[in-house]
Amino acid sequence: MSHWTRRHFLGTSGIGLGLLAAGCAPTVSDFAQKSGRRVVVIGGGWGGATAAKYVRLADPSIEVVLLEPNKEFVSCPFSNLVLSGVRSIDSISFGYGGLRARGVRVLHEAATAIEPDARRVKVGDGYIQYDRLIVSPGVEFQWEQVEGLAAAQDRVLHAWKAGPQTVALAKQLQSMADGGVFVLTIPPAAYRCPPGPYERACQVAWYLQTNKPKSKLIVLDANPNVISKTGLFRAAWTKYPNLEYRGSNKVVKVDPGVREVTTELGDKVKYDVVNLIPPQRAGTIVVSADLVGADKRWCEVNHLTYESVKHKNVHVIGDSTTGLPVPKSGNIANAMGKICAVAVTRMLNDKPVPAMAPGNTCYSWVSDREAIAVVNSYKIDGDKVVQIEQKLTPGQSEAWAQNAVGWATSIWQDILG
Amino acid sequence: MPTLVSLLLLLLLAPAVAAGPLDAPGATSALACSACHGLGGQSPSNTMPIIAGITPWYFKKAIQDYAAGKRPSPEMEPYAKMVVQFGVDEIAAYFAGQPRTPSSVKLDAAAVERGRAAAAQCTVCHGVSGKGDASKSVPDLTGQPPGYLRNQMLLFKSDRRSPGDDTLKAVKALMKTIPDEQFADLAAYWSSVR
Repeated sequence: MSHWTRRHFLGTSGIGLGLLAAGCAPTVSDFAQKSGRRVVVIGGGWGGATAAKYVRLADPSIEVVLLEPNKEFVSCPFSNLVLSGVRSIDSISFGYGGLRARGVRVLHEAATAIEPDARRVKVGDGYIQYDRLIVSPGVEFQWEQVEGLAAAQDRVLHAWKAGPQTVALAKQLQSMADGGVFVLTIPPAAYRCPPGPYERACQVAWYLQTNKPKSKLIVLDANPNVISKTGLFRAAWTKYPNLEYRGSNKVVKVDPGVREVTTELGDKVKYDVVNLIPPQRAGTIVVSADLVGADKRWCEVNHLTYESVKHKNVHVIGDSTTGLPVPKSGNIANAMGKICAVAVTRMLNDKPVPAMAPGNTCYSWVSDREAIAVVNSYKIDGDKVVQIEQKLTPGQSEAWAQNAVGWATSIWQDILG
Repeated sequence: MPTLVSLLLLLLLAPAVAAGPLDAPGATSALACSACHGLGGQSPSNTMPIIAGITPWYFKKAIQDYAAGKRPSPEMEPYAKMVVQFGVDEIAAYFAGQPRTPSSVKLDAAAVERGRAAAAQCTVCHGVSGKGDASKSVPDLTGQPPGYLRNQMLLFKSDRRSPGDDTLKAVKALMKTIPDEQFADLAAYWSSVR
């Protein structure tokens, strides 16, 4: 185990807490005027935190302000292991001390509006000006697409943004009586983390098999078939006779009163615990800032700089983007964060932007100790990102799981350290 | 006000952009590598090797073998093709020029001592120092993460690393004589060597 543990992150972030205690916590008013060049980053997840760090690495003379309402970064990758009890939420939660140590000014506030013409971001009652803005808002849920969901958000959990909902869903699973039915519903693509729901199915099925052998998992997938690592997941599921998969079963209604979901075809499925992953679009701030395309869901960007095709000086990275042949994954968001950071600093210095392409390494845990993976590499062809190759592991193994742990250890540091 | 004057002079004379860690040739092409191998190739994890300070011949052989499918790896084959696309020589030179720090992965002291007692068999090729010999295409073992070293020994033993590569016959023959449970000890020892 590396010394780069959660303790290290929190230990470093303790400096920040000390400043808070001393009354030195930054506020919006501290950022009202800018003296030098400033990059503002909205969102401290896999894309935004990486971008904030790498702008500072690429050009320490640029001020970087990171707007992230959450005090802790909780990793979506590996969070399905919290549902099965294989890992704790603490083991995937980290502070922002590493970024502060690199000179990133982290402000735990939410940006509520972008004004591209005025080059400023609204935060609370104030504004923060920028020279260039990097927006990495992740996904927002389309609650309205499932009847009854908006009013039942406290009971019908998504756990698709790692954090309190992950812990709450794990508790619901643990509290379910042996013999109960757990229903997992998957939205139509595109959504965050294509293999994530199928990995979750493995983790829930493994947990039930181990702890509640009379129980059953029903997976209702809006897509006609498993959309990622199909053969590998199908092979893994042969070990879980308690898992019933139904493709082309889009859930359109939930009724928590009678504990029932309804599919587009009119089938009604009873549950004891439901995990309803809603349909998704880009984060609200980029929708209201008119950064999304005609589909009103995702943002189109320049493939070399991630600058929005709709507004100058505004760059969008991570799950909110569309048009690149890449999955909505944490590794891709991390890669976009680095590429965008270099592009932004070069543009601010009137220098040419190098051609850089993202890569994607994506592990999925199919039990408590075995994993599978898919890896994609890309190149720049003309001015577009093009895939070079996709490779899958030939099967599942403990060795891939060890590599998954190695990957997570490294990339968490690449984002936050 | 001499301090202020000298400060102003410094500001005037300073280049618009101070040379940072991403200004070295190859640095931006190598950014995709840092997700697993760490910034500048300084991997913090147990299973991903440190490629900071790696000798260019070893880096290039690894990339070429991965890209050609000779060294099977579903993770590295696609990335190796990407490295080739962006220029293997420049990226090799970049990593060779990065300062290398031994792995920070914690080691079991007893395993290190057991490994030390059994390490003579490795030194025939890798030298007493374990630093290898570039003229004979023998790589440096020291300071690498123990998980990575152990995995490679297992892959050599089962002929799953670069099957059919004649240059690896000797190491594979040696690995077949070593019991699996000793690999963790040898890995811990070589990881500990500075």
